[in-house]
Amino acid sequence: MQQLLPPLNDHNLPWMDTLHPIVVHFVIAMAVISVVFDLIGVVLRRPNLFEVSFWNLLFATAAIFVAIIFGQVEAGLADPYGASRSILNLHSTLGWSLAGILSLLTGWRYVLRNRDPESLPLPFLAAGGVLALLVAVQVTLGNQLIWVYGLHTVPVVAAGRAGLI
Amino acid sequence: MAFPLLLPAASRPQLLLEITTLPADSPISQLSSWLGPNDLPYSLPIHPTLVHFTIGLFVIAIAFDIAGALYPIEKRVFRFLALPITRAGFHDVGWYNLLACAVVSFFTVAAGFFEMLLAVPIPGVTSTIGLQSMETMLLHGVGGVAILLAIIAMTVWRGYQRFLWRRDMGRQVQWLYLLVGLGLFLVIGLHGTLGAELAGEFGVHITADQLLATGADLRNALP
Repeated sequence: MQQLLPPLNDHNLPWMDTLHPIVVHFVIAMAVISVVFDLIGVVLRRPNLFEVSFWNLLFATAAIFVAIIFGQVEAGLADPYGASRSILNLHSTLGWSLAGILSLLTGWRYVLRNRDPESLPLPFLAAGGVLALLVAVQVTLGNQLIWVYGLHTVPVVAAGRAGLI
Repeated sequence: MAFPLLLPAASRPQLLLEITTLPADSPISQLSSWLGPNDLPYSLPIHPTLVHFTIGLFVIAIAFDIAGALYPIEKRVFRFLALPITRAGFHDVGWYNLLACAVVSFFTVAAGFFEMLLAVPIPGVTSTIGLQSMETMLLHGVGGVAILLAIIAMTVWRGYQRFLWRRDMGRQVQWLYLLVGLGLFLVIGLHGTLGAELAGEFGVHITADQLLATGADLRNALP
């Protein structure tokens, strides 16, 4: 069975480079821009921006499940050490939670849009603010895994294989 | 004439090899007291976070203009899904996402150049696609400016289509615009690979990689 799996490279990955950070482009950018366009739409009274927000939110929700699939595979192949272990746990927990939160918000938004696409109640705007905040925390945690602990980078993988960390 | 830095090391002009050592009084060293082990005055680089927005917004902008262009084909599918759509709505996503992409990308490139100024790639590494660190940084730097220019040009082109040339038409974009957009996906993908290699292979601005390069034991240096 083991031989059927593709061999791991010097990033300890079966593919060229980490894919999770690429997929999350579409979660981070679309979720945050959705909140930004909602805010601009309310302040400048431009209801056509609500439609732009809706599609970005829907796309962020679709993308986060793909991000989680690659995130789980690559987290499983990472060899976290020291404090990066608990950061990875937190990042995974918040990632799954964000999938739930994004799905709920998208469902809520679908109903609101069906009733009246030209207006947006304030509670939804507040929920968007919370979403943006949680995304910022999640991005910071993920950034720490790469930029501080260097998970899946060639030098850290080599040190891990040599038993140095 | 070949680009000298892309030649194999042996056939490169000797002068280029001699100037690779920075003099000790290089102006960049004036910042050294601010810098952490990741060679930055802060722990997490800014450029990679802004890049999420440049790439995400650009790709989704083009994708939704494609959806708007193919509207007559897909409208039955959305009716089946009970998801109300308008063609103008799709093209609004195409326009506003691209506009946001153009705004944020100036900051992406600016942060990229500041952080590349402070980059200390691990010496002696050749990337997966066969380049050395300075070649990768040059291509990523020049490519970054070229892509910023392309994004600005696309935004202006998109604006002309939306507000002048095609303002009364259902399909707000030319097929050529979508084709150029798809071509830029490839360019951006390749460009992003260079950036990813600067991090994941050359260890630029990664605390753990930089500490390992100095011979530190991560069990003590990064508990």
